Amino acid sequence: MDRDPLFKRKTSISYKTEEKTVMRGYNLSDLAEEGYSFYDAMFVLFQNRIPTEKEEKMLKYEMGVFLEHSMSPSAVGAIGVSAGRPNLPVCIAAAVSTFGGVHGPGAAHGYMLNKYLERAQKEGKSVDEMAKTLVDEYMDAGRPVMGMGQPQHIDSDPRAEPIHLRQEELELEGVYLEFQRAVEKYFHARRKADGRSYVGVNVVGSGNTALMEIGFSPNAGWCIGSVVRGFSCAAHALYNMKKGRAWGASRNEPMVQMIDLSMIKYIGPEDRIVPKKEEQQEYAKKQKEEGEYKKWVI
Amino acid sequence: MGYIDEKKTDALNKAKRKRGIGNLDSPKNPFDYYEREYGTVPQDTKRAPFQWVSEVAYKNVHRIVTRGYDTTELMEEGYGVIEVLFVDYQARIPTIEEGQMLNYVMIMALEDGISSPAAISRIVARSKTFLTQACGASIMAFGHAYGAYSAFGNMLEKYLTLAEEQNLSLPDAAKLLVDDYLYDEALGVSNLMLQDPAAKRMLARAEKLGISGKYIEFTKHVVLAAQDAANGPVDLDMLGATGATMMDLGFTPEATWAVLAVTRSFAAGAHYIEEVEREGSSRLGQQLTPKEDYDGPADRPVPPIAERAAHATSAVCKNPHEWKQRFENMKNVRGSGFKIVEEIHDPSKKSGINKVGKL
Repeated sequence: MDRDPLFKRKTSISYKTEEKTVMRGYNLSDLAEEGYSFYDAMFVLFQNRIPTEKEEKMLKYEMGVFLEHSMSPSAVGAIGVSAGRPNLPVCIAAAVSTFGGVHGPGAAHGYMLNKYLERAQKEGKSVDEMAKTLVDEYMDAGRPVMGMGQPQHIDSDPRAEPIHLRQEELELEGVYLEFQRAVEKYFHARRKADGRSYVGVNVVGSGNTALMEIGFSPNAGWCIGSVVRGFSCAAHALYNMKKGRAWGASRNEPMVQMIDLSMIKYIGPEDRIVPKKEEQQEYAKKQKEEGEYKKWVI
Repeated sequence: MGYIDEKKTDALNKAKRKRGIGNLDSPKNPFDYYEREYGTVPQDTKRAPFQWVSEVAYKNVHRIVTRGYDTTELMEEGYGVIEVLFVDYQARIPTIEEGQMLNYVMIMALEDGISSPAAISRIVARSKTFLTQACGASIMAFGHAYGAYSAFGNMLEKYLTLAEEQNLSLPDAAKLLVDDYLYDEALGVSNLMLQDPAAKRMLARAEKLGISGKYIEFTKHVVLAAQDAANGPVDLDMLGATGATMMDLGFTPEATWAVLAVTRSFAAGAHYIEEVEREGSSRLGQQLTPKEDYDGPADRPVPPIAERAAHATSAVCKNPHEWKQRFENMKNVRGSGFKIVEEIHDPSKKSGINKVGKL
C-alpha cells in the first residue's frame, strides 16, 4: 500500500509514522491514555501547550454551549443540502462553510479586539478609553459593533452573559474581558442616549472573548466555534435524511415542504416572449438602449 | 388555469402559438405548450404551512433546547461537547465511562498528519478563502475509503443481522464478512497498524471502561478471520477500532461518520492556518504541470473548423454491440469516467414525516 505523503510540506503541527501519530510532540495515543480531555487537545493543537484546569473548563463550556443552535444558517444549510441525498459529509461541509462575515463571525470579532488593543498600547490609552473609541468609531460610521445583537434572541442571547459569568467565576479575567465589558458598557450607553432599544451581547461577543482570553488566535477561535457547530448540523441533516422526505417538495406530505412550488415568490421581470435568433441583435441593442434591465442586475 | 391575469396569459400564449417556438408545437409533446399557465403557484391553504420540523432541537427568543435539555443549563451543570454529542445523536446523557471513552476516541481522531482532510484544507487555503471553507472541505474528504465509518458500521450491522437471522456464530459471520470484504478499504483490518499499537490500545481502553460490546467483539472475530484469509500480515486498524468503539457507544454508522469527520476538521483548521502562515496563496494560472507528468495524446495541430467533418467522430452507437465496443475503448481514455462503475445510493432509511404537520 502506497504510504507516501499526498504532498510535501514542512509542518509544526504533527507527523505520522508507522509507529505513531504525534501532534506538537505528544503521541496522540499517550495523550488519550493519560486522561487529557478533547478540550486539552485543542490547546495542544492550536497553542502548543497543556492548558490550566480553569482554561480547560472555560473551553469546555464555550464549545458545549455553542454546539447546538437549532435553526441557524448553518443548520438550514445542512438540511437544504441533505434534500438531494448526497453523502452526509457534504451536508456538514456546507454547514461549516456558512460561517462568514455575519453568521458566527468569530475571527472578525477577534481581529477587531486585537486591532483596538494594539491601538491602546501604541497610543497610550487605557482599555476603557479605547473601548469608547471603538464604539464611537463603529457607530459614527453606521457599522454594526461585532459581538452585539442577535436576530433571534432579540433581548438577550441565552448563552452570552452566562459565558461572561463563567469566565469571571473561573478567574480568567484578562485584557479581553475587560475590553469586551467596556465595549458593551459604551455600546449600551450610546444606544440609550440615542433613544434606541437595548441590544445585548451575543455569543460571539462573549464566547470569542473567552476564547481569546485563554490564548486562541482569531482564526483558531473561529475554527473552534464554527467546526463545533458542525456536530449538531450533522445531526439535523441526519435526522432529515433518515426521517424526512427527500427533495423537500412532495405534495403528498401533510405539511407544505421546504421547496414546495408555492414557497416561491417571484418579483422579477414579467413573463415575456423569447426573441427569435434572427431578431437577437436588434432586440439586444434595443434592450441595452432602454436600460430597464439595469434595475435587475445583481 | 394560470396564476396571473387570464387576459395576459391568453395574449402571451396566443402570440407564442402564432410565432412558433422550436419543437414546442410538435405533436410528440404530451402537452400543448401554448396552453400553459404563467406565474408562481399560489400558497397552499389546505395543508399546514412549512415549518422546520426537528426531533433534535428548537430555540426561541430566550433559550436553546436539544432533545429537551436547555443547552445553557447543560453547560451550567458542568456538561460539555462530549455529553451534548450523546444528547444530540442519542437523546440521552452518557455514563461517565461513555463520556471518557468518547473523549479518548475524539483525541485519537483529531489529527492524522497531512492526510486527505489536512491536504485539502491546505489546498483550499492557498486560494485565500475563509478558514471555514477549508474546514468544510476537509469534512468532504471523508468518504467510503478514507474515514469510511459509515461503510464500516453498516457492514458490521449487515453481518451481525445475518448472524442473528441465520443463527450463525460470530466467527462464522466474521468469516462470511471477510470472504466478501477482505480487500475493501472499509474492512477495519489492514497492514496499516502493524507497528502502531494505538488501535489495540483503544479497544483495551474500551474493555477497561466496560464499554466493549457486540461490535468490538465481532470486530475481533473479523480481525482473526482476515488474518486467516490474507496473504500477508494484517491487524486491526484505526478505522476498525474507532468504528467498533463508537458503535458500542451507541452511535449509528452515519453519526460516527459525522462526529469523527467534524473532529478532524478542528485540526484541518490548524493546517489551514499554518498553510497561510508559511506558504501564502496561489494565483490563477500560477501552478504548472510538467510535461513529464503527462501521458496523454502527443501534441497535435487543431484541425481547421471548416474541416470538422473530416476529423470528427460520433459517439452515437446504433446497437448494444457498438455500444459495448465504444464503452471498452473509452476505458483507455483516462479521466473519461468509463472505468468507474458505482451505484449512487439514497442514504435515507425512511421517507416522509407523516406524523407531524397536519392542520
